[in-house]
Amino acid sequence: MSLKKNSKVSRTVILAAVSMIAVIGVWLFLTSVLRIIPPAFLPPPQNIVIDFLRILESPYVGHTLVGHTLVSLQIVLGGFFSALLIGIPLGILMGWFKRIEAVVDPLFQLLRPIPPLAWIPISLLWFGIGVQSKIFVIWLSAFVPCVINSYTGIRLTDPLLVKAALGLGVKRQQDLLREVAIPSALPIILGGVRIGLGSAWMTLVAAELLASDAGLGYMMQMARRALEPSVIILGMLVIGILGALMARGLRALENRVCPWVKEEEH
Amino acid sequence: MNEEQRSDKLSAQNVSVMFEKDDKSFLAVDDVSLTIQEGEFVVIVGPSGCGKTTFMNTFAGLVRPGKGKVFMDGEEITGPSAERGVVFQQFALFPWKTVKENIEFGLKYRGIPKEQRDETIRKYVQLIKLEGFEKSYPHELSGGMKQRVAIARVYANRPQVLLMDEPFGALDAQTRTIMQEDLSEMFLTEKRTVLFITHSVDEAIYLGDRVVIMTARPGKIKKIIDITRDNLIPDRRRMRYDEVVSLKEFLDLKGEIWGLIKAEILEKHIL
Amino acid sequence: MARYWESLGEKIYQEKIILSISSVLGFLFLWYLITDLFGFMPAVVLPSPEKVFFTIYEKISVPVGEEKLFGHIGVSLVRILVGVGIALGLAIPLGILMGWYEDLDSLASPIIEVLRPIPPIAWIPLAILWFGIGLGSKVFIIAIGVFFPTLINTHIGVKFVDPLLIKAAQTLGAKDKNILWEVVVPASIPLIVAGVRIGVGLGMMCLVAAELVAASTGLGYLIMLGGDDLKPELSITGMILIGILGLIADRIILGVERRVIYWKKE
Repeated sequence: MSLKKNSKVSRTVILAAVSMIAVIGVWLFLTSVLRIIPPAFLPPPQNIVIDFLRILESPYVGHTLVGHTLVSLQIVLGGFFSALLIGIPLGILMGWFKRIEAVVDPLFQLLRPIPPLAWIPISLLWFGIGVQSKIFVIWLSAFVPCVINSYTGIRLTDPLLVKAALGLGVKRQQDLLREVAIPSALPIILGGVRIGLGSAWMTLVAAELLASDAGLGYMMQMARRALEPSVIILGMLVIGILGALMARGLRALENRVCPWVKEEEH
Repeated sequence: MNEEQRSDKLSAQNVSVMFEKDDKSFLAVDDVSLTIQEGEFVVIVGPSGCGKTTFMNTFAGLVRPGKGKVFMDGEEITGPSAERGVVFQQFALFPWKTVKENIEFGLKYRGIPKEQRDETIRKYVQLIKLEGFEKSYPHELSGGMKQRVAIARVYANRPQVLLMDEPFGALDAQTRTIMQEDLSEMFLTEKRTVLFITHSVDEAIYLGDRVVIMTARPGKIKKIIDITRDNLIPDRRRMRYDEVVSLKEFLDLKGEIWGLIKAEILEKHIL
Repeated sequence: MARYWESLGEKIYQEKIILSISSVLGFLFLWYLITDLFGFMPAVVLPSPEKVFFTIYEKISVPVGEEKLFGHIGVSLVRILVGVGIALGLAIPLGILMGWYEDLDSLASPIIEVLRPIPPIAWIPLAILWFGIGLGSKVFIIAIGVFFPTLINTHIGVKFVDPLLIKAAQTLGAKDKNILWEVVVPASIPLIVAGVRIGVGLGMMCLVAAELVAASTGLGYLIMLGGDDLKPELSITGMILIGILGLIADRIILGVERRVIYWKKE
């Protein structure tokens, strides 16, 4: 019976390998052999590898690949962490204290439907083309999900648990908050953090596409103007990989911080 | 009914089933042979996890026996079929379909024309006493009502064989008693071949022509008690549940069967 | 005692309303103060509330760039609708087939898993390279944004349908293909709609991004133009309209959700 399982797994692997080889094969065929797709439109796969090594070593529009990556990362993480620092406490307070919710919520709901990306031009107007304008928009995009999820997490605290705590002698608001509401809300809060990170990353790319002089987005824009799609694709791959790594890291963190949560399928 | 005229409807010959869970495989059913006659109501009882559901699923065609074979009317069973209807413990009603549409499901696949379908549905809705609820959705019904729809859905499809896997297990005690009486009544009106699985010894004795007692895992047949053939509880089917349950014959049987099962549980350290 | 709690609850409710309204009014007032009354902010940086209002009013009849206000709204609308349409038309069928036929899943998954982490915005330079600045590139980006969440959710919804329902259908006489379309798909509709909701939200963001970077019409273009021409009132106009559009889109999907999932009342 376990033979069956093994053969099933290998079938999956074989098919996966087949499809990847087929895709690369067709790609290679159309670009290198038949040459019906011009390299300015879609480079052959080997070009991508060559260009990868090239921009790894020598600077492309100001920095090497690693250099651009670091520039982007710094900005994202900067904006992201400051968003966490303000957003999570604010969300928690909004969730717990009705008065705070009453004051902050309407403003929040007014500003929320506006995609953070849309703030970029105004941000540029206010802060100039420097790093600050980017950090502001990134901060904004991570801020919103952090607040929302923290708020929701606190609001969803099982009243039964609160009653249990009250019955065990916990009386002060801050203690209830600290011992019951926040731990129970933690999984949802971390979910918001994950969303915020993804959002921040996206906003960074957009911001760098619009107005930057360094970073992965800038690199891709310049490559487009120079008609070098392989560099664009490399940028996309780096962005994708980094995004996936960060998400995975966060999920691992989630599992360590909230060991009581059941693993979801996805 | 002359016994020699009855035919073997379902037959299991030396059936064994292996199960795999978390990289461990274990024997769920061990070399079980059982023959069920047409029109017979056979109940399988046994301790938890003894493999009774798994065994029934081989008849349903949902599980393939690792060893041995299962037959219906002499032909090997290789997959599920509308001729072997299954009533599940968790109802398995399609939540997006109304009561009427649920009952109609199998009928559509048999290519039965609309008027005839409507007729059939009306008849079975009446049988399960849910007139007025044809357009209701499962989430609007109580547990007992849902299970009645599940039974009607299978019954309406007129399978030759009914396989019922603890169908009343999810119901409260009061609803359960009523459902048992209903089923007994239905069985009198429309006799089918039934294989019924339960935990409850009371239910087994009340409903079954024959009671098959299984051992703990790996499941084997411990003993078979032939209630109808040996006329152990005369006129059982014409009486109400509370009447039957207080008969001396009933209590004797219950003692015997429960003693056997309890021995299994204690011996094999299931608890 | 109950009446005391009742009146207390009412008092808190009234207090909440008062606080909420005052905070919104306070916000508007503050805005008005720093722009008009005291002139802290030059109009170039932050326009006063009335200026924004008049701009909206004005641009209904006076064109900005190539279109009047409703023209811009219309253009954005068309892009979003086409993009969403294409994406759903591809993602839902593909998701269903991938969820049902394991071999297809094994074949398609590797390609999807490579492309999925790449944020749709990162596709913009490539899209511009391939499709230019016309409708095509915007629709492409939006479609990518909507495609992946919808595909994933549909895939999961179909793949993890309650096996009990499938068994029930089998024992009632239904065959494979029937089971897919009559049982599995209806059962997975809740997840599919959830995926559509996420996808469309993402699609709106992609619309803005694409229109910011490379467009000469549309709401995103307005926002960008405002920044470029030092007319923030244009940007704010665009932002408000995008926000409203997003809200309407979300409401519509919620409405669809409620109608399509009529059988589940939680």
